[in-house]
Amino acid sequence: MIKRALTASCIAVMAASCTQAAAPWVRGYVVAFYDPAFRYGGRADYSRGTEIEPGVDCPHGSTVHFAVPAQVAKSLSLVSWRTPQEVEALANPPATGLDRNPAGVYFHTWRAASAYRGYNRDIETYINPFAAEDPGQPQVTSRIGEGFNLDGKIKANDFVSPDGEKGIDNQLYRAWGCDAPWRGADGNGTLVLRSNDKMLEGLYTVVIRISGNKDPMNDDDATLEIGYSPDQIMKDARGNVGVDYSYRIINSEQYSKLKAKIKDGVVETEQADIHMPQIAWFFNQQRDAFFRHGKIRVVPNSDGTAAGLVGGYRNWRDVYTQNIFAQSGGTQGVREHEDHVSLYYALRRHADGMFNAKTGRYDGISSVYRMKLVPVFVVDPDKPMGIPARDSDTQGQRKAFDDTAAAMIKAVDTLVPQEVPPTSRELTAVDGVEIGRGGVALPGRGRRGYGGNRTASSSELPVNQVSPPK
Amino acid sequence: MVPPAGPGVFTVKPSGPGAFKLVVTGHTFTSRADIEKFLAYRAARHTIEQGGTWFTLNEDRGKDGTVVPVPARDPDGPRYSFRMKYFRPVWRYKTNGSTTWTRWSPFSGEPFISADPKTISDFEVSAEIVVRKGPMDDADPLAFEAWALSDLLVNQVSPPK
Repeated sequence: MIKRALTASCIAVMAASCTQAAAPWVRGYVVAFYDPAFRYGGRADYSRGTEIEPGVDCPHGSTVHFAVPAQVAKSLSLVSWRTPQEVEALANPPATGLDRNPAGVYFHTWRAASAYRGYNRDIETYINPFAAEDPGQPQVTSRIGEGFNLDGKIKANDFVSPDGEKGIDNQLYRAWGCDAPWRGADGNGTLVLRSNDKMLEGLYTVVIRISGNKDPMNDDDATLEIGYSPDQIMKDARGNVGVDYSYRIINSEQYSKLKAKIKDGVVETEQADIHMPQIAWFFNQQRDAFFRHGKIRVVPNSDGTAAGLVGGYRNWRDVYTQNIFAQSGGTQGVREHEDHVSLYYALRRHADGMFNAKTGRYDGISSVYRMKLVPVFVVDPDKPMGIPARDSDTQGQRKAFDDTAAAMIKAVDTLVPQEVPPTSRELTAVDGVEIGRGGVALPGRGRRGYGGNRTASSSELPVNQVSPPK
Repeated sequence: MVPPAGPGVFTVKPSGPGAFKLVVTGHTFTSRADIEKFLAYRAARHTIEQGGTWFTLNEDRGKDGTVVPVPARDPDGPRYSFRMKYFRPVWRYKTNGSTTWTRWSPFSGEPFISADPKTISDFEVSAEIVVRKGPMDDADPLAFEAWALSDLLVNQVSPPK
């Protein structure tokens, strides 16, 4: 504790001369906030209803996919086998005077239609995104972005860091930075909030341990470990992430140990492959975020907390599947106003790493994530352990995720459209409504799995009446 | 996945620095979409074969192509890997017994070939593209990412006869 206090006091006055005798030292953090390093550029004085405002990052604002009938009609009009009459009917589900919740009709009609946009009506879109036309995605047009110069080059599409460093590689921000659920001030994008709420409520925990043998403020031979902790995040009486609790770090597939250098308190690791937990809001998507050629930076704050940044090249397949298959593409698309076909094309268009000589294409996209770090004690477990299983494992939800992701990867790698695996959540009924081939909402089905967005019982939702005309 | 084209069905000739004139010919008209998709697929594959990653379409507006406006850049708007609605090649065709070609431009405002498709004995669809490398100008409505376009069309096209 004395050592810790001394270190903390050093950090607090790091601009001043503060030295400690060379001796083994260690400090730990728990990740209290974790989000993609998207730099929000909205104007504080802007207000237009409930829209997230435009800004220097996204001049037209956030995505509005599946937000209004006109946008739905625009997307569905790209489907060659749909007639204009079908598109109109699907974009504007007709009112029949029956008692039902209009929100539910829109939701189920749109999520069903969105799931079948391939070049023929039997191709499920979210597993076979290459088979649908690109609906377009607003992308970040500003030049300032957080991250690292991963390739040592300064290229035309690179960002400039807020500190003025050129050559910042963060093409995930370029591609997805205007995507509605990930865009907003101070991390208030809907999926940013959701994933962080889940993390703070115990879905998963990420910890960092930094150690060395010299001065904790200046050590050219330090070590940084990052990984999954089986211990739930502890909060203080005010609901904030508590300081100085103890967490175990386990040497699992979501763990990395890196060499690091510390200069004036700022920790920066070597460039190496990094394994750590990825952002998740369901346990079935809680997996390894594998950064190739990655790097971590930890900048201490005067109050003992720190700001972390992790970046590297992630396989775009991991990024896509992580974002979509915890539930289903249509459910998430309509709810979050994002379109995974657009996101798929944007990922591939901006892929800039992990060049695959066999295919002649890039498999990776430079990706950077922010972490707010709270000081804690990070310790080894008494005996080696793996990442614990959760209840949902027994319900086959991780297998559902894996099967669906595998089908999608096979589809895009072979260009042979794949069927939806029987276990997939693309087939899961929501509010008793399943999605049939051709994007037809099928009400009256048994509820399986996720039941969110529930607005009415299936008997109140004659969704079959809004099926496209024959 | 795409059957090979018969002799003379697809031709490509250099037409300037990085530019190529692509032509698809045939005698059995199927549909406008089928034939234009085959040309688009060949444009994508030719771009890849040339070491490029994307291409731009040089619209052949000629004298009769002034009715349909030139698509404008919208750098602040959504970005695309391709927009099929802007892949607009120019057609010419002969009907039974005719010795002269009739031209149809997608920019003329005229409806697509008015002749009975069964009477079309020869057709020719052409486009000029410029092969490009490096980051794609995805704000250009006439820009097409070669791999993405090839992936979309590979299971859909076959050469005309």
